[in-house]
Amino acid sequence: MIAASNLSKVYGAFRALDKVSFDVRRGEVVGFLGPNGAGKSTTMRILTCFLAPTSGTARLNGLDIFDSSLEVRQNLGYLPQRAPLYTELSVFEYLRFAASLRQLDYGTFMKRAKTVVEVCGLAQVLGKEIRQLSHGYRQRVGLAQALIHDPPILILDEPTSDLDPNEKAEFLDYLKQIGRDRTVLLSTHNLAEVETACARAIIVSRGRIVADGSLGDIRGRSGKVRYTLTIEDPKGELKASEVSEALAAVPGVSTVDQRPVQGKSLSFEVSAAEENDLRPQLSQLVLQKGWMLLELRRDAQTLEDVFRALTVGDARRNRNLKASAVEEDDNDDDDDDDDDDDDDEPAAPAARA
Amino acid sequence: MTTETNANLLDTPERAPAAPARTLTKPSFIANVVTIAGRELRSYFDSLTAYVVIGITLLAVGGFMFMGDDESFWKTDRATMVRMFEMLPWMIAGIVAPGVTMRSVAEEKRSGTLELLITLPVRDSEVILGKYIGAMSLVLVLLAGSLLYPVAMFTKPFWNLGVLDWNPVWSGYLGLVLLSLAAVSVGLFFSSITENQIVAFFLSSFTLLALTAIGKAVGSVQGWGGDVLAFVSILTRFQPFAKGLIDIRAVVYFLSIAAIFLAASFRSLESRKWS
Ligand SMILES: Nc1ncnc2c1ncn2[C@@H]1O[C@H](COP(=O)(O)OP(=O)(O)O)[C@@H](O)[C@H]1O
Ligand SMILES: [Mg+2]
Repeated sequence: MIAASNLSKVYGAFRALDKVSFDVRRGEVVGFLGPNGAGKSTTMRILTCFLAPTSGTARLNGLDIFDSSLEVRQNLGYLPQRAPLYTELSVFEYLRFAASLRQLDYGTFMKRAKTVVEVCGLAQVLGKEIRQLSHGYRQRVGLAQALIHDPPILILDEPTSDLDPNEKAEFLDYLKQIGRDRTVLLSTHNLAEVETACARAIIVSRGRIVADGSLGDIRGRSGKVRYTLTIEDPKGELKASEVSEALAAVPGVSTVDQRPVQGKSLSFEVSAAEENDLRPQLSQLVLQKGWMLLELRRDAQTLEDVFRALTVGDARRNRNLKASAVEEDDNDDDDDDDDDDDDDEPAAPAARA
Repeated sequence: MTTETNANLLDTPERAPAAPARTLTKPSFIANVVTIAGRELRSYFDSLTAYVVIGITLLAVGGFMFMGDDESFWKTDRATMVRMFEMLPWMIAGIVAPGVTMRSVAEEKRSGTLELLITLPVRDSEVILGKYIGAMSLVLVLLAGSLLYPVAMFTKPFWNLGVLDWNPVWSGYLGLVLLSLAAVSVGLFFSSITENQIVAFFLSSFTLLALTAIGKAVGSVQGWGGDVLAFVSILTRFQPFAKGLIDIRAVVYFLSIAAIFLAASFRSLESRKWS
């Protein structure tokens, strides 16, 4: 349904996309994941014929983006990042505008509008000017205009990035309905979203595809597990660096990261290959050293870990993701997995061995 | 959302799930241009642009005709509209066309709405032409508004200040429409090369005023230099119209400028693809 082959895009001297190829089959809902600046929007703009690739091409529904640009656009609904709408129009007028440019006659438009308004929950605001709406509602209007002509292909660029957690959940709900009989490509930098809405993910980093497959495949891809180990240190006499060195010395351990200190305990994240369970060795070490063990847990790598591992090069741009990854386990003030741009807590200090 | 609405969506009869490349109505060029132009015009009246531009221009024209220096309408004491036709080309070049077109493309680029517009099944040429016609319509509304002056001054139920020869008025208006076609096209072009509407305004205002002003310099430049200036000057091209003459070369001149800058705007819009 969507077939991108060797898409490259160069802005001036900057290579934003580098030979990106992927296929999205009919009826699939695919998450297009990547940190900010990875090239998600650029790819989508190429697929929607807003930009031309520097090289490579793509076909949507069998139609080439160069040769059949108009037909491609007839077959797709697109919601650009941040839903840029004509704010002086009312919701109804906007939908009417989009429908006219899509050659829907009035009868068809009214029929479709009824469905779309219901699905997107717009009935209450139909007569309101878009400028009076909250961002969540604008996003819905954006989705509604993308659906007005009942397109077989839907391309959504970070549709949830400005929504609050409730709105996000609702949006993903719509998406599940909408995605039942449509091909959907959904970009996001929020992993939780992909896990809810998509069966398959394509991960991009710095203009390249670094992973493409079912969520299960991607999760299993790194072949690593991580252990969380917390020891009590009531008198504050333990040196974190000594502990992490000792942990790193255990055979099989690949990295040790110290978690932020919580009260009178030290917490570490140890990652190791999947084959052997290192818990016996780790607890033995704790006993040997006479530390007081509070917790020792073994987790499969989360999608988030894989994502981080695959996109490490993007450390700078990736900052907010790291922050939220840390949050996830700390579980202190904010556990809604919110990966927004404004979620800018500093990443945990890492003591890498 | 309930599964009920969902069922509703799925049961929509025309929904043949994931049909292969659907044959949809072929986009109609004219219909799309009209839709885009209509939205443009609407947004002019929705923001203050339309009222401000029309208001300022009409007031300025009135002020210029009736007040001030030795050549004001009262001083010359003749039933004529030449004063208005002296004034309006400058207004259109300096304020009206730049003011009306400054947002056209620039603001849509800045706010991102252009992306949503262009990813609808519309041709770039439809977008440019729609915006052009939208802007031009507003200018026509303004010109129609300025007709209030001769009507109020020289017709019966109103002041009826004298017997006006309407022929130069009509040809003058024809000239103004032609001049506007060219000026709006220039304005649209400058709007299409920037994301900043203020920059667009000043670029087109400067260009259009310069093109107008060189008409003033024509008298003082001798030989072929003067001919060239006269050839490219908006003002010298317009002047015959105000005297009741329809100069066919001037018609061609204005329409050519309009066409050239429309094509340039189209290219500029297209060039986003390759940036
Ligand atoms: N018009 C442009 N000119 C120059 N660089 C651009 C332009 N658009 C995007 N970029 C750069 O290309 C990279 C990819 O951008 P984008 O596709 O928007 O990423 P994403 O949507 O994944 O956050 C970014 O580094 C961005 O700065
Ligand atoms: Mg983006």
